Amino acid sequence: MANVDTLIRLAWLEGMVQTHGAYERAVLQRKEALSVSPAQQAQLVERLQGALQERRPLTVGSLLRSVRSNNKLVPHDVFTRIGVSRNIYTLMEQDAISPLKIPAAVWQRLMALLKIALPDMATLLRRTVQLTAYRPHFSGMLARYKGIKGGKKLTALEKAFAELYARADLELPPEHEQALEKLLEELRRSPGT
Amino acid sequence: MGRRVAVVSTKALVRGLKEGDQRACAALAQRYQGMLLHEAVYVFSLPFEDAEEIVSDVLLAVVQGIGSFTFQRGDGDFHVWVLAIFRNKVRDYVRRQAISGNLMVRLDEEQSTVDDEGIDSEASVVRIALHRYRDALVQEEQEEEGMNENRPGVAGAAAAKLATIADALERLETWERVLLRCRALHVPYEEIATYTGKSVAQLKVYHARVKRKFVKILAEYYPELRSHQHGER
Repeated sequence: MANVDTLIRLAWLEGMVQTHGAYERAVLQRKEALSVSPAQQAQLVERLQGALQERRPLTVGSLLRSVRSNNKLVPHDVFTRIGVSRNIYTLMEQDAISPLKIPAAVWQRLMALLKIALPDMATLLRRTVQLTAYRPHFSGMLARYKGIKGGKKLTALEKAFAELYARADLELPPEHEQALEKLLEELRRSPGT
Repeated sequence: MGRRVAVVSTKALVRGLKEGDQRACAALAQRYQGMLLHEAVYVFSLPFEDAEEIVSDVLLAVVQGIGSFTFQRGDGDFHVWVLAIFRNKVRDYVRRQAISGNLMVRLDEEQSTVDDEGIDSEASVVRIALHRYRDALVQEEQEEEGMNENRPGVAGAAAAKLATIADALERLETWERVLLRCRALHVPYEEIATYTGKSVAQLKVYHARVKRKFVKILAEYYPELRSHQHGER
């Protein structure tokens, strides 16, 4: 039956009433919890893992951005450690430079710094090479679209295209494929990977 | 699932989620699924199926938003953050229920009564307060549709309708206020005793009495209750 407790709870939900942490503490100390069947829990875990997978950085740029944001770092903290200039680092964060133009030693330092395994790094590099290789194609198309539509929509479209080209499994142009294989081979041979 | 999930510290759990470690999802579900389900069902009286969906949405929001979470004061920050997400999801659910009228159906079926002292019964006061809240939500929704744009402070007026509850609580003594607020959210008497300096036995005895006092104060905010009674007599 509804009583004034219902109203107080509603006011609490709407932020009109505070308990100054008493509720949060009580929840933590409660002995009771509704039992959940293993199947229900497995279903939820699968859903959460799917969401976590979606959150994983697709490209070198998204990796660098998330590392900086999660650890509250400034670009200087990263580019000095991996041995690139500020300008190159900015391009790397924006996925505006092909990884093939960056020396293998830089990728080795990045892998050591962020403790990234070679297979994960290889996937990030391949997707970034793919994105930078195909970027001129969709940039040209977007430039034509710019003449017709406003800026806000264009930014959203550009982001969508970038994600699409990073996520898709596309065949790389032969010269890019060869250069990428060479880079990965160098990383495989280097000590500690 | 069948496998036991190792108990991990809060810091390790957050680090795992931030680094994309799939095992952290199992640890998160193990720690919060049953706990939040219990809160949703027993504290906020949500139907089990809806509670399950809300808890799932809460933990999904935790995974999606973990990048923006940082510890400021200590391990407890994460728990407070998860519960803030839970509170927002339950609030949104209650708003939807109120707008669709589901929240009121049960109340409208209950008979309004006036007790011996001529004070409006608890159910009448609650019904009027909830109707005002629902009306404000519906009006806001209509205004929003009319304006066809996102305005800041959505449900601000509806929340303001509940300011009377905060006002009425302020008119109680401090320990009475703490008792009512905490008991509404099932905070144990033992814990309330530490905040108020009263014994558990005293708090249990006084609870019903303080509630009646609160209903009496709250009834003063709703003049329609008085006119309704006079009309009946």
